[in-house]
Amino acid sequence: MTILVVGEIQKGSVREASYELITFAKKLGGDVKGLIIGSGCGAEAEAFAKKGAGSVYVADEPALANYNVDGWTRAIKAAVAASGATTVLISNTPSGWDCAARVAAGLDAGFVSDAFDFADGAFVRRVFNGKLDAKVVSSAAKTVVTVQPGACKPFEGSADGKTEKLAVDVSGLKAKFVETKVAAAKGHDLTKAEIIVSGGRGVGAPEKFTEVIQPLADALGGQMGASRPVVDAGWLPHEYQVGSSGQIVTPKLYLACGISGAIQHLVGMKGANYIIAINKDPDAPIFEVAQLGVVGDLFEIVPKLTAAVKAAKG
Amino acid sequence: MKILVCLKQVPHQDARLDIASDGAWIKEDGIKFEINSYDSFALEEALRLKDAGAATEVIVASIGPERVTQALRTALGMGADRAVHVKDPALDGSDALGIARTLAAVAKSVGADAVLMGLMSDDGNASAVGPMIGELLGVPSASGVVKEEKTATGFTVERELEGGALEVVEVSAPCVLAVQTGLNQVRYASLKGIMAAKKKPIDVKTAADLGLAGQVGAGAAKVKIQKIYAPPKGTGAQILKGSADEVVTGLVGKIKELGLL
Repeated sequence: MTILVVGEIQKGSVREASYELITFAKKLGGDVKGLIIGSGCGAEAEAFAKKGAGSVYVADEPALANYNVDGWTRAIKAAVAASGATTVLISNTPSGWDCAARVAAGLDAGFVSDAFDFADGAFVRRVFNGKLDAKVVSSAAKTVVTVQPGACKPFEGSADGKTEKLAVDVSGLKAKFVETKVAAAKGHDLTKAEIIVSGGRGVGAPEKFTEVIQPLADALGGQMGASRPVVDAGWLPHEYQVGSSGQIVTPKLYLACGISGAIQHLVGMKGANYIIAINKDPDAPIFEVAQLGVVGDLFEIVPKLTAAVKAAKG
Repeated sequence: MKILVCLKQVPHQDARLDIASDGAWIKEDGIKFEINSYDSFALEEALRLKDAGAATEVIVASIGPERVTQALRTALGMGADRAVHVKDPALDGSDALGIARTLAAVAKSVGADAVLMGLMSDDGNASAVGPMIGELLGVPSASGVVKEEKTATGFTVERELEGGALEVVEVSAPCVLAVQTGLNQVRYASLKGIMAAKKKPIDVKTAADLGLAGQVGAGAAKVKIQKIYAPPKGTGAQILKGSADEVVTGLVGKIKELGLL
């Protein structure tokens, strides 16, 4: 059985998530082969090969200088054909979730999304926004799997690396890359905050952020943050969002109020030194990452806490 | 331009999730369902394209049992022109590829110039169906779309990357756009809209009607859920117990101990 691991170049080198795919592949067991897609990416392919991918195909074309859904899909399909791979591992990153399912459909393969483990012949993944886990099995001749970044440690062994040029037809690509834009500077920078008090869907209404959450943040001398549903609902601007598509924060104290703890939020705040969660649902995933928790009504607890903090500060 | 919006009806985000007796999905009896949050943003985006004169017709499609009619009626009440309901027990147990085949067939049958849908569903969380429809139809797709602008040949879209970065891509129509949440403010169906929706057609189709007999459903599925379960608990948080005043005292004590008070 051959496993194709699709490496991803980020800021001029192969990203850590790509080496995590090699660790994941070792869990599955089988021959590992790699693929690097880009333009002038020989050095990256070499590094990927030597640091564990072993034999690496290089789809090196000027037309692939930037991510292109059609180009990537074609390159991965070509590498599957060349390697005879029966399993394809792709990181569940913005490019991964854009092309992986296309590859699966194109190969008439089974598709497993965002797996974080493999045990007893089944891929393990989160469903229902983190509330339940599912074990998924594939009965297909080929299976394409996207793997959650950070789910396993990057592979640290070495392999006798070699690279091989892979021919990919890049004529008439169906999408055209224009540019990558960096979002405008944040007016509300949470990345340097020592204390963050965040609110989620459980806060219930925009005015409650002003009335309940902000006063606690102020009393503690911290900043206010929010989870994605709050920003999606237009209760607070995007610059308040903590999570994979918002800000990644590392405060000394993170207080999560009415936040259930969907994976995209946890990614943004689990680096906090200390996490306190207040939530009415005792099964909320946030309690798994928090050190200290209160199962209760945030509208009762938070105002009392604000008053107690003010009293303690005199 | 004709836009097809694919909607999934999913368990309500606050619904109680009990595991079904086969251990492979949740008990669906007696729980509330709603339109997948990601898909409602896609519908709103399609309706805005129509309001702006960039689209001529918005058709909504959904797969599922009778209950799905409610989601389609809501979409029609919000302003969609007509609906396709693929209702067929033969589709039960389909994997993402089976669902994508079905929706690709619907897109072809209605002659859609663009297919809009959510990046993922709130239950399966797979981000699979949109790109698959693109591949099956041989048209471009873009996932994680936070903005789209109609051009002479298709769309210029912005895709969300990590850390707040955006990727700008041009795609020619027909195409599939799988949208992120939060790219607009989703409207509510007005009373007038709901009344008007009663007269709008819902076209009910089976797999056979779409030429898919034998290609979808449990028999054709390449992947299946073996087991679904509550995530194993780690050591988890230490839970403070007692009255509100007692837990607040505990919290203040901890914040002091951390040297932050």
